[in-house]
Amino acid sequence: MLLLNCPNCGPRNVSEFRFGNEYNPRPDPATTTEDAWVDYLHLRNNKLGVQKEWWHHGTGCGLWFLAERHTKTGEVLRTYLWRPDSDSGTEPEVEAKR
Amino acid sequence: MRRLPEGGTRIDRSSDLQFSFDGRKLNAHKGDTIGSALAAAGVRVVSRSFKYHRPRGLLCCSGHCPNCLVQIGDEPNVRSCMRPVEEGMQVSSQNVWPSLRFDLLSLSRFASRFMPAGFYYKTFIRPKWLWPFYEHVLRNAAGLGLVDPKTPRGRYDKRYLHTDVVVAGGGPAGISAAHAAGARGASVLLVDENAELGGHLRFTSSTSDPKRAVVQRLRSELDQMQNVHVLANTSILGWYRHNWLAAETDNRLLKIRMGSLVAATGAFERPLQFDNNDLPGVMLGGAVLRLRHQFGVVAGTRALVVTANDDGWEVAADLRAAGVEVAAIVDERTASACASPHTVSLADEGVPIYFQHTVLKAIGAGEVTAAMIAQVAKGDEVDKTTCKRINCDLLVISVGWTPDTDLTHLAGGKTRYESDRAEMLPTELPAHLHVVGRAAGTHGLEAQLLEGAIAGQTAAHGLGFGARTDAGRVAELRQLKSQESKRSSSRVSVPAGMAKKRFVCLCEDVTEEDILSTIAEGYDSMQLLKRYSTVSMGPCQGKMCSMAAIQICARETGRSIPDTGTTTSRPPAAPVSLGALAGQEMEPVQLSPLHAWHLMNGGKTMVAGRWIRAEHYGDPVAEIKAVREAVGLIDVSSLGKLRLTGSGVPDLLQRVYINKWRKLGVGQSRYGVMCNDEGIVLDDGVCAHVGEDEWYMSTTSSGATGMYDWMQWWIQSGWGEGVHLTNVTEAFAAMNLAGPRTREVLRDLTDIDLSGDAFPYMATRNGEVAGVPCRLLRIGFTGELSYELHCPSGYAVSLWEALIAAGQAHGIKAFGVEAQRVLRLEKGHIIVGHDTDGLTDPIMANMEWAVKLDKTDFLGIRHLSRVAEHGPRDRLVGFKVPAGGAKPEEGMQIVAGDDEQTEVIGWVTSCRMSPTLGEIIGLCWLPSELGDRAGAEFKIHIDGRSQPARVWHGAFYDPEGTRLRI
Repeated sequence: MLLLNCPNCGPRNVSEFRFGNEYNPRPDPATTTEDAWVDYLHLRNNKLGVQKEWWHHGTGCGLWFLAERHTKTGEVLRTYLWRPDSDSGTEPEVEAKR
Repeated sequence: MRRLPEGGTRIDRSSDLQFSFDGRKLNAHKGDTIGSALAAAGVRVVSRSFKYHRPRGLLCCSGHCPNCLVQIGDEPNVRSCMRPVEEGMQVSSQNVWPSLRFDLLSLSRFASRFMPAGFYYKTFIRPKWLWPFYEHVLRNAAGLGLVDPKTPRGRYDKRYLHTDVVVAGGGPAGISAAHAAGARGASVLLVDENAELGGHLRFTSSTSDPKRAVVQRLRSELDQMQNVHVLANTSILGWYRHNWLAAETDNRLLKIRMGSLVAATGAFERPLQFDNNDLPGVMLGGAVLRLRHQFGVVAGTRALVVTANDDGWEVAADLRAAGVEVAAIVDERTASACASPHTVSLADEGVPIYFQHTVLKAIGAGEVTAAMIAQVAKGDEVDKTTCKRINCDLLVISVGWTPDTDLTHLAGGKTRYESDRAEMLPTELPAHLHVVGRAAGTHGLEAQLLEGAIAGQTAAHGLGFGARTDAGRVAELRQLKSQESKRSSSRVSVPAGMAKKRFVCLCEDVTEEDILSTIAEGYDSMQLLKRYSTVSMGPCQGKMCSMAAIQICARETGRSIPDTGTTTSRPPAAPVSLGALAGQEMEPVQLSPLHAWHLMNGGKTMVAGRWIRAEHYGDPVAEIKAVREAVGLIDVSSLGKLRLTGSGVPDLLQRVYINKWRKLGVGQSRYGVMCNDEGIVLDDGVCAHVGEDEWYMSTTSSGATGMYDWMQWWIQSGWGEGVHLTNVTEAFAAMNLAGPRTREVLRDLTDIDLSGDAFPYMATRNGEVAGVPCRLLRIGFTGELSYELHCPSGYAVSLWEALIAAGQAHGIKAFGVEAQRVLRLEKGHIIVGHDTDGLTDPIMANMEWAVKLDKTDFLGIRHLSRVAEHGPRDRLVGFKVPAGGAKPEEGMQIVAGDDEQTEVIGWVTSCRMSPTLGEIIGLCWLPSELGDRAGAEFKIHIDGRSQPARVWHGAFYDPEGTRLRI
């Protein structure tokens, strides 16, 4: 039972949340390549390390937000709301503590 | 064994209880555990062992060993030394056949030389056809208590707790830690598995130590602290990521989120390996002290005390004080290594003292009557020429301690074997974990108090409460700890050679001989040794045996103890009932505001997802007839209802639906289908444009929550500009009034102009019906003229009853889900999730008309463009069974080919006898080349026969849809 910091409600038990899969922005279906589209639809990275992922505070405030979580240690480095620059990956990087 | 005339901190001698053990009536005092009451009554054999059915008696009296497990009624594996006696309790021994005193299966001890380690692996694998027989015999012979499958479900629950500091263990170190952290303002939970705090002070005899008064004071001050809470009778099961503990108390699972953990978990007393070391009458020193001081029971009349530390001398002095004859004290140390103040007094009283001696063997049939001792020699050897027999009925073992480091390991701490102490002690601890007291090898009371206080203060400081601990106290603790004497014996056992059983693991009946043969067969690492011999895999989970198994393995393989390795600690660290893990029976259902009306009017209910709905009111065929010929009313409150506002709504709808929304005017509605980007149909429903910037969307009953979350995700990840979405499913009730006479019913109840010109098909209007504010949608799932009325839930009954009353003159009937399913099937309408599955795209489902590929973008566009180009492989189509044919059930397969080679090419998703048409009709999946041809014949496999059916395109009933538009 991880402890997640909902950007709206503060730290809550993970049982209040639903995992929304790894962050996987949708390419423009009209212009993207076949490989990129298949990657978006079907391929997950299953990364060992800090992963950017979606969480939904379903039994709380209903917020969808992003979390950066270390998939081995379970450490959650930060949680934040989606912004337009989340898709481009230009938001500031954070370092894992361990 | 007997009860002393006085003493016993936990019992109330003025209050008597009666209980039974294997049918025998016994007396107990209030406060007695089952174990202490059995001991007081002189019962020495409490259980039979797992494999050899050997008699076993109380050993540890602290809830750790398996010897005292009993069955109470339908509850198996109760630790009798922990469970208080209740009036009339029916206790029975486990694993006995036919009785505890005479157990036929104990004859297996004579066969035990044929049952070595890995016996099951080696013996019962061949011949395979005999396995059912083996299994039957083994299941009866092995295992512990009995599970009664008819046991009524108990009441279990979960509780969430949040605290700054958890102190696990309420001995002196734990009390001191809780006090120190609490005094600095941190919220503290002090958890102990026993009924009262105090740890070893509850039963150790020394009253001379002035520090005991300090513990008393700290303990009573804890009760005054508002921020400190004591959880007694609570066992900690495990530590989990993000720093929380699972614990169990009183059929309740606790989930305790904390800032820091202080593990003051204490230590288990170590058993010793010698022949017949499992005989009833062999007890650990701590058990003897617990029985005397907590329950006023002495465990024998003539005791032999075997020790390797000063603690054993305390037990001997204590027994003497209680009037028990001490036959001898056998201490493996030299006289000079012994610092106990009791040496002189016991010698003066004429107690024989044997230094540099140990016990070789317990003697007795069924219980201890004597023991053989001998002088120790080099290593684990003894000088057998010095063997000496001593008569006794109690053999007390007090040769050392195993720090309870389970929780330390689970919480991320590491331990290291300290050879000069012969104990595994904590070394590297994460920041959130402190280990204190006997769990950290600290035995002196003063050191325990100081260590606890420092840990409590450090934990509080780390969480922002109070000052850092000053270096002087830390140095003082180091000094005190360096003075700790060695309390645990490094000796394991005398080397093998004597014939009798010498048990390492009492839970699984693993003997030292078994371990030696396991090692000889090559399983010489602890992990393999454990799995192959099953040592440490029983109820005690290695608390009693793990250290001995490691020591024996190290000795036999000539390795050091650290090189031998350990087994991995895993939760649960204490026994837990499965009921507590399962928690409450929680199957929430959703009820329509009209639910009570349905029940009172003959409605037969059914489960539809999370909803309980009315399936029918006794006669679904009559309900169908009423809708087709007169008028019917169905409760559709379970539909998902979403309210969307804002200027961005048309853009959002355009993207989440496959069809078009930009040109839908106010007052109009449209049927829409939603897909994901894989082109799979997720949901369908009607969406109405009800105001300038306001839309009202309905989803399927099962899809309400999921579609709301789904749309919220798109809204919150970039498609939400100018959109506000609210789930109003429960806020509104919905009911559908359908049938050719619908207008006649509504006309008298509303001012809304219901004429076809003013309120056409697929339009939506707001207004009052029977005085209730309503939204009316003119839609037609049933294929008849119909209005769906949505009103605030609180008005639902009032509106429903007004419609039923007004409809009486027109032949109205309430209809349920079954009638609706037939009505929609007659129209060829699909139900998403019933006729479709996780591989269905809208083109396959014959909704190609809704797929608008000329839109810029929508969810599913890329996939559906491709399907539109190549055509789908399969089709969802209607079918009819010719007159006189058998009715297929939903899910039945459609086959092609002959008897030689049959191929499954599709299946039936919906099928009913249509009372309106008098024909069997349905929907099914077929390959496109077959499904595309109306009238094509195919075969449905029914109970081994082939039933022909023909493809039908479009609606079965009123294919032009004229009845909808009247």
